[in-house]
Amino acid sequence: MFVGMAEDDRTEQQDRECIRRMASKDANALDAFYTRYNRLAFSLVLRIVGNREDAEDVLTDVFWQVWQQSSRYDASRGKPVAWLLTIARTRAIDRLRSTSRHEVSTDDPDKHRDPPTAPTEPDPFVQTDTREAVHQALQSLQEQQRIPLEMAYFQGMSHTEIAAALGQPLGTVKDRIRTGMMHLRKRLRPYL
Amino acid sequence: MSMKHTELTDDLQERASLYAAGAMTDSERLEYARHLDEDQCVVCQAEVKELQSAISLLAFTVPSSSPSPTVKVRLMEQARHAVPVIQPRPPGFRWLQWATAVIALASVVAALSLMRTNSELRREADALKSRIARLEVQLVEQQDTIATLTSVGVRVVDLAGQGASMQASGRIFWDQQRKRWLFSVRNLPPAPADKSYQLWFVPKQGNPISARVFNTEADGSVSVEVPVPDNATDLKAAAVTTEPLGGQPQPTGPFALLGAM
Repeated sequence: MFVGMAEDDRTEQQDRECIRRMASKDANALDAFYTRYNRLAFSLVLRIVGNREDAEDVLTDVFWQVWQQSSRYDASRGKPVAWLLTIARTRAIDRLRSTSRHEVSTDDPDKHRDPPTAPTEPDPFVQTDTREAVHQALQSLQEQQRIPLEMAYFQGMSHTEIAAALGQPLGTVKDRIRTGMMHLRKRLRPYL
Repeated sequence: MSMKHTELTDDLQERASLYAAGAMTDSERLEYARHLDEDQCVVCQAEVKELQSAISLLAFTVPSSSPSPTVKVRLMEQARHAVPVIQPRPPGFRWLQWATAVIALASVVAALSLMRTNSELRREADALKSRIARLEVQLVEQQDTIATLTSVGVRVVDLAGQGASMQASGRIFWDQQRKRWLFSVRNLPPAPADKSYQLWFVPKQGNPISARVFNTEADGSVSVEVPVPDNATDLKAAAVTTEPLGGQPQPTGPFALLGAM
């Protein structure tokens, strides 16, 4: 039967081992985990908070949280990289809200419609095919599904804020987020 | 919502989607997180796990940037200096306090042993439900694969070993309707530690397009599913090359497998 990639499996095993060692307070494991994922996490945080100074502060907090909570990492809840990125996104949205830069956009929904641009600095730890597959999956979403998803994920907007910003009924927005998520999961299943 | 669910409904799927996307209001998010953690609802946990994994991949679409090296220096300093703090023993800690502590500890141990059987049974039930959920997902994936292999119009492309990998072979089932390849390899030894194998779409015109970076299992086999992008339909060949670890934008290494369309 078709199985996950051996390469991905190997990386995941290495990540789990890193987290196990971090739980034993092995600083070398934190060093290795940071080396592998700092650019990916930083890029996401920077995309959300919008300036390097805040993004670097948040990045420190993110990896510090990983270090502190490594003993509580629950492997049944997902891959280590997904856990890291969930922490990174949450801390970045918290920073965005605390610095009052989080403004609900009601004037220009078109600004959400540009697909993400190409990478500016290739990250040696991110496989190019993964990046391409995610780009394709995102571009294959209908615009009406992609926009609310990106507004939620990158701007931390709730469904009620998105509905108000786009001038759409709340039920429609919720349904489009659900449909978009189902589509993303289906397209990206080989990478989960 | 203080209950465990037994099956995934549209409504539950919508809540899991909103939670994973970060689109719940603060109060909804707190209540749902409580449901996941305290109710230990394996149905919702499994759905959230997959959806969070999927949405977190959006990070891969963001233009890549590097933080300043001082971030790592600061972080590692912080980690290396965060040694456990040992509290000094308070003065006057006498035998009566020891006795009190021992009695309290014995009471706790007794209470825990009474609760243990019950919580073990609960954990076993949760583990079984989780296993059933995983098997259901595997079943759907297997049915999906069988549907591809037996669908009308599926193309089969054989790949032959090249150069040092003459003994290897590969086969692609190309589901043109659903735009995907089911690709399997046999007798291709795992790549060296600093190398990866990379599968390419080779169009009739233009440069090869990366399909997947992969490695084989210890027995030289692997099977993967590869989405076929819209710009990779008019193909003349499929190829596998050996590349530096993580793959390359264009092939640079020797062919391991090659097959004409």
